[in-house]
Amino acid sequence: MRTFRLTDAAFGDLAAGRPSADTVDLLRRAQASRHLLLLSAIRKLGGPIPEPIDVYDPMAALHTSATLAALHAGAAPPPPRVSAAHELTATHDGLTLRVRLEDTDPLRARLGLAPSRQLLPAEVAEWQRLLSAGWVLLTTRHRAAAEVLAAGLRVIVPVEADPGSGGLSATSAEAFGAVAISTPGDPHSFAVGLLHECQHSLLNATTSLFDLVTPGGPRVCSPWRDDPRPLSGLLHGAYAYLSVTRFRRTEAATRVPAPRRGPVALTPHPLPAETSVAHLPAAEPPVLTETGPRGPAAGSAGLRGRLAEFEFARWRAAVAEAAGTLLDSGQLTAAGTRFVRAMRDEAAGWLSEPVDPRVARLAAGANAEHRARWRLRNLEVDPAAVAELVAAWRRGAAAPAVPEAGLAADRGRQLESSERLRLVHRLLNEGDHRGRAGSGLRPGDDAYLDGDAGTAATSYSKGLAFSSDLDRWSGLAVVSSHAAMRDRPELVRAVTLAAAEAGEVRNVGPEAVAAWLSGSLMSA
Amino acid sequence: MDRTAEDSAEEWLSPMVDVSGLSLDDLAAREDDSALTRSLRRLAAERDEPGEPIAGFNSAL
Repeated sequence: MRTFRLTDAAFGDLAAGRPSADTVDLLRRAQASRHLLLLSAIRKLGGPIPEPIDVYDPMAALHTSATLAALHAGAAPPPPRVSAAHELTATHDGLTLRVRLEDTDPLRARLGLAPSRQLLPAEVAEWQRLLSAGWVLLTTRHRAAAEVLAAGLRVIVPVEADPGSGGLSATSAEAFGAVAISTPGDPHSFAVGLLHECQHSLLNATTSLFDLVTPGGPRVCSPWRDDPRPLSGLLHGAYAYLSVTRFRRTEAATRVPAPRRGPVALTPHPLPAETSVAHLPAAEPPVLTETGPRGPAAGSAGLRGRLAEFEFARWRAAVAEAAGTLLDSGQLTAAGTRFVRAMRDEAAGWLSEPVDPRVARLAAGANAEHRARWRLRNLEVDPAAVAELVAAWRRGAAAPAVPEAGLAADRGRQLESSERLRLVHRLLNEGDHRGRAGSGLRPGDDAYLDGDAGTAATSYSKGLAFSSDLDRWSGLAVVSSHAAMRDRPELVRAVTLAAAEAGEVRNVGPEAVAAWLSGSLMSA
Repeated sequence: MDRTAEDSAEEWLSPMVDVSGLSLDDLAAREDDSALTRSLRRLAAERDEPGEPIAGFNSAL
């Protein structure tokens, strides 16, 4: 029997997030093949075989996998499939997407999120409206990605939204071609959510054919989650965000003027707070606006374009960095190394593309804040090392070298959550105006948004010797001029709080401690 | 666990067999095939080491 194989060129294109139609078809066949093998295992065990067999249906594959797992566990097989009758179709520019809106299958929760109840007719109509509009966007501006979606996506499972976030989505390695997603806020979010999840599906199908990461590696910082992730999870995040980055790149190029030759003359933009981005035409003539200390404000270049530019700048760097972490890990197979190199090269090719300087600063700040927040949340400094450092501080001695902090106890899955990032999104969405995002809401945030690092650092530092406030500590790590604060914020926080608790009130503050640690420890 | 081809290979070879065009009866008739056995062994290993669910993309801005 013939085994699956991919040419190196096809493998590289798949890794770069640009699989050919033939490659997508091969992955579909590979998943159908996998499904059939699982059914044969069930038959050997005397388990139930569905009739008719649809080896290409993702929910059927999910049932097969669950049935086999139940048989191995000596448990009763799951209830049979109940497929929804909602068929959604979207056609534009000669390309058609057909999906089943799945709101009845008893196993649909196994895609990883809480499924919605059965939909009302009006809700189905709303899903159809969103899909049609999202499909116009995808086929018009993201044609290659739309073709992959049309070939691979078969089922959408509506799930409950998380009150704390704007939109959730998920995929399962057992259901190639199925995406669970909460009701999208708009067609744009729907489109990017589908692209993101389909990347996970493609990678799941790829890893069922080829080992990319060897088991047993460390859990590391991922740019997309606040909890430590295994290397395989980091790979999934990077691969999914490769497609998101490409999407944002195109959107930014469409909505923001392309060539920026030197400083741009900018004028104040009196945008009212209640202005809706939905009313801004995408093709409006580009005009940048800015004067004064605010930096480039969002103007009629398209507010959504500024946000797309921010996302593009943020994620191109994050994907490249994640790829670097993976390549440096020593845990990739030969195929994994080839795959991740192609991912890295794709993202690295975007790094030199021009982005508005203020947007670039905010994007770099968002990534830096994420790293700092991750360290503050997940790393634990050895108490003995903290005591040693506090003692040295009290003696007026140089800081002794201490080992890197280790991972704290697992605190569970955590999506990125940052109030400062929400302010940045609001600023880019709504633009500069009186009472804009951040204005007077939290100390330091206005200064941060304006790029005044010194004022922001002073503001974030106040009272921090007695507070472990994650948001302010991570903000300080972004704007601080001290290397120790930026690179090892968990150490600065641990020493500062311990020194203050020990009664070293005088001269103890995060910036003073960070300066002290930077002066000796960081140069060791 | 089967591995893929070496670096710089012109083709990347998967240990998984393509049985997508076969029926369950066809598979049963070929159960002694070594490539098929390798594929089934790989699937069993996957079951023993299930991956983490991939969930949580926040698409809202």
